[in-house]
Amino acid sequence: MSSPFASVLAALTRQRGVRASLVVDENDGIVVDSNLQIGQDGDRVAALAASLYRKARLSAGAAHLGTATFMQLEAERGRICAAGRNDLVLVVVADPAANIGMIRVEMIKAAGGLP
Amino acid sequence: MADDVRRWSDELARDPASLVFLPLGETLRRQGQLDLALKIAMRGLERHSHNPDAHDLLARIAVDRGELQRAFDEWDMVLRLTPEHIGALKGMAFVRFQQGNTPEAEQYLQRAAERNGGGDAEVAAALANMRAAGRGLRQAASGKREVPENGAQPASRNPLPASRVPVPASRVLFADILGEHEQTALLLDDQGLVLAGTYVDGDGNDVGDEVGAELSGVTDAARRATRHLDIGEWRAIVLETEVAVVTMAPSAGDGLLVVAASKATPLGLVRRVLDRCLERARQWLEAGR
Repeated sequence: MSSPFASVLAALTRQRGVRASLVVDENDGIVVDSNLQIGQDGDRVAALAASLYRKARLSAGAAHLGTATFMQLEAERGRICAAGRNDLVLVVVADPAANIGMIRVEMIKAAGGLP
Repeated sequence: MADDVRRWSDELARDPASLVFLPLGETLRRQGQLDLALKIAMRGLERHSHNPDAHDLLARIAVDRGELQRAFDEWDMVLRLTPEHIGALKGMAFVRFQQGNTPEAEQYLQRAAERNGGGDAEVAAALANMRAAGRGLRQAASGKREVPENGAQPASRNPLPASRVPVPASRVLFADILGEHEQTALLLDDQGLVLAGTYVDGDGNDVGDEVGAELSGVTDAARRATRHLDIGEWRAIVLETEVAVVTMAPSAGDGLLVVAASKATPLGLVRRVLDRCLERARQWLEAGR
């Protein structure tokens, strides 16, 4: 049986350079659903990404900057992207060569549809 | 910019009486090369001792060096040469406020407002805020405190607008890079404590401490995430919100540099500002603050 997020995750994972996509509970960092390449530890990725997104989102709140819509962490050999709504966070792990503009648009659109 | 500095330096070498020492000194000041800027300004003043812009330049360099009284004296000279010089009046107000002399600061701001026919929004806002702060001080001195009817605590307000806030030099470390645009920058240590810069919200309040508290641990969290995923060292975090773009990057000693800009600011521009602020922070930290 597929989860309500399966089609969203599959669409994101089809984007060039995407290694993993997950839906995570922001509060406890637990995976709600995921679409991972072989060898990825989804639980750990979820917990770390959710923690990072939560810190960034809370800092935006402290600065009165309104609701966070998208977060991207850039590293030497990859990126972590996150977009959230109602305690759920959509997380994508991508290669540096990924089309981040397209991924961003897809993630913001998909996050808008999170319950 | 480097080309300009070279060109002006060459011109000054050819013609020591040239007025290019003014843009050259100002550019060096903005780049944080204060000793060199001071040297250029002093040499220029030797040949142009009655040039108000030269004294104004020296005053601004002095403020950046933390030499407030020297800055005041230079702006005083500017006023002797050009009594209508609004910048000098604002600068003198800034110095007096920083020295704790609020009444005199208010007088200078009042003079600036009168000279400008009330058309300078920054001066008007500074005057209003300073008078509000003055009321608060008087109430504190008399043991009384104004409490709104709804019982809410009055918000603390800076008596001067951000560009004239009487603060330590560390808090204006990035001011020239940020310019007049809707941008703000903050340098945090590994505990999330503010080392330099400010984080001004839409109402003009500095919420740097609150932002720093929320961001404490971001560097560690980012490092753990990138190590676990084996994607190398993290270089930047970009957070988009409804109204702003916030960029962060690691700085020396596990610190964090945060730059925020309005949503209308192109992301590429915000990244360039972040890079320049990072370089400024590096120089500042290496120089022992």
